[in-house]
Amino acid sequence: MEFARKAFAREATYRMEVVTNVGSVVLRVYLLRCLWTALYAENAAPLNLPLHGMITYATIALLMSLILEVDGTRLIREKIREGGIATDLMKPISVPLYFFADGIGQTLLQALLVIPSLLLALLIVHIDVPPAPTLAVFALSFLIGYGVNFFVNFLMNSVAFWTLESFAVQLVVRWASDLLSGQIIPLTFFPGVFGRLVFALPFAAIYSTPLLIYVGIIPRTAWALSLAVQVLWLLLFAVLSTALWRAAARRVVIQGG
Amino acid sequence: MLATYLQFWRINVLTMLEYRANFVMWFVFTLFYHGIALAALYVTMRQFPSMNGWDIRQMFFLYALWMAAHEFHNAFFWQVVSVPDYVREGRFDRFLVRPRDTLFQVLTVPQQTMPDGFVAAIVTLAFATAVAHVRIDWIYGLFVPAIVLGGALIDLGISLTIATISFWFVRIDTLRWVAMSLEQDFTRYPISIYGRGVQLVLAFVLPFAFMNYFPAAYLLNKGDVGLHLDPRVGLLTPAIGLAWLAVAYAFWRFGLRHYQGTGS
Repeated sequence: MEFARKAFAREATYRMEVVTNVGSVVLRVYLLRCLWTALYAENAAPLNLPLHGMITYATIALLMSLILEVDGTRLIREKIREGGIATDLMKPISVPLYFFADGIGQTLLQALLVIPSLLLALLIVHIDVPPAPTLAVFALSFLIGYGVNFFVNFLMNSVAFWTLESFAVQLVVRWASDLLSGQIIPLTFFPGVFGRLVFALPFAAIYSTPLLIYVGIIPRTAWALSLAVQVLWLLLFAVLSTALWRAAARRVVIQGG
Repeated sequence: MLATYLQFWRINVLTMLEYRANFVMWFVFTLFYHGIALAALYVTMRQFPSMNGWDIRQMFFLYALWMAAHEFHNAFFWQVVSVPDYVREGRFDRFLVRPRDTLFQVLTVPQQTMPDGFVAAIVTLAFATAVAHVRIDWIYGLFVPAIVLGGALIDLGISLTIATISFWFVRIDTLRWVAMSLEQDFTRYPISIYGRGVQLVLAFVLPFAFMNYFPAAYLLNKGDVGLHLDPRVGLLTPAIGLAWLAVAYAFWRFGLRHYQGTGS
């Protein structure tokens, strides 16, 4: 009986987390609908993004964030702090690959949350669905964005090899990236020089590119170029991560853990 | 009790002096956090200059008022947010066996926070007051400090409620995080953009609207605050803060009587 009660309590806490998460998504979808409706009601609409496009953009961005905000590489930081990284490095496995696999596992679990969230979101807002080729390119672009996001997180967490305050660094980067990646506001709204600057930053490859493909601001003719830029960022960060990892691993050996 | 409280702040200041680099880092961190939020507001309002009749200067004032209340809460009541951690790790039980009020003991756990964020918030609020052309008269001088304090009490009520829930549900990190981010989201815009039901909730159930919307609407001479309310309700924030905290405190006492610990 006692075990059953414990199991129930465990289940209940878990279920409460799911309910809280999904509930928060629903509230945020409601909020974004109210926000953009109010803004579009009183002001001239931007040229290429009507209200329904904007609501679609913001809703898809929110659902993407459910997946992208899972930090699959958080484990690195914890293992460095607690010293477990040393034994991991001795095991005959590729440690970065192990973290990547672990991250995918967490992401898949989180992705299950997207389904009820999406269904509930559809009760609150109407989402435009683009033609199949656009959807396919969006999916591809999202996948590359996922990779870029993974390596950015990987780099941030590896900073813990050098400083134990990496959590603060990481939060700051996360906040900056929320704004600069186009997750909160489409990058096309940024004025003048800033507008050009944000598109030149790697964060744009995480949210902005897939989303702008989805709502049709990036036209068919520019798909190839946009994807190529994303792939370039992906490669750059992959190389950086590898280099940093090698340096870090050596450091652990020298320090003796 | 006062002597204990002063002693607590003495320890905080000494800790801060010992870990100066850490202190500076967290201060920069706080500035960065509000900077990002204000930058997002700026970009949005540049594209869309009016939000239900509020322009960018007024939106800035709305934000600054929330920031002041929230940073006051973070500077003086932050330990309440840590209660779920104490409960999970079994460190909470010691408060129950000591001969002082439990909440007072929680509020005097030495920590590495200083009112630096609050000072930044006061500067921001003064700046926003000037930018939004809010008239500075005796009402402003008398009520704005009381409104900031009342807003901080509303915040404390939320933290206390979540802390109490953690007596029953040990893992509530998600709830804590969600409550914090929803508070930020729902205090950032005038509540007139929402439907009537949500407005009622924000005014009377979880009274976030009293942290900044109602007072700002009154101080900015917005004629209509919605919900058929007199604009002067904005001056009621201190009373609402006390009432809301009283309810949260009653819940906390109820929770304490039923507290069983985690056995860890």
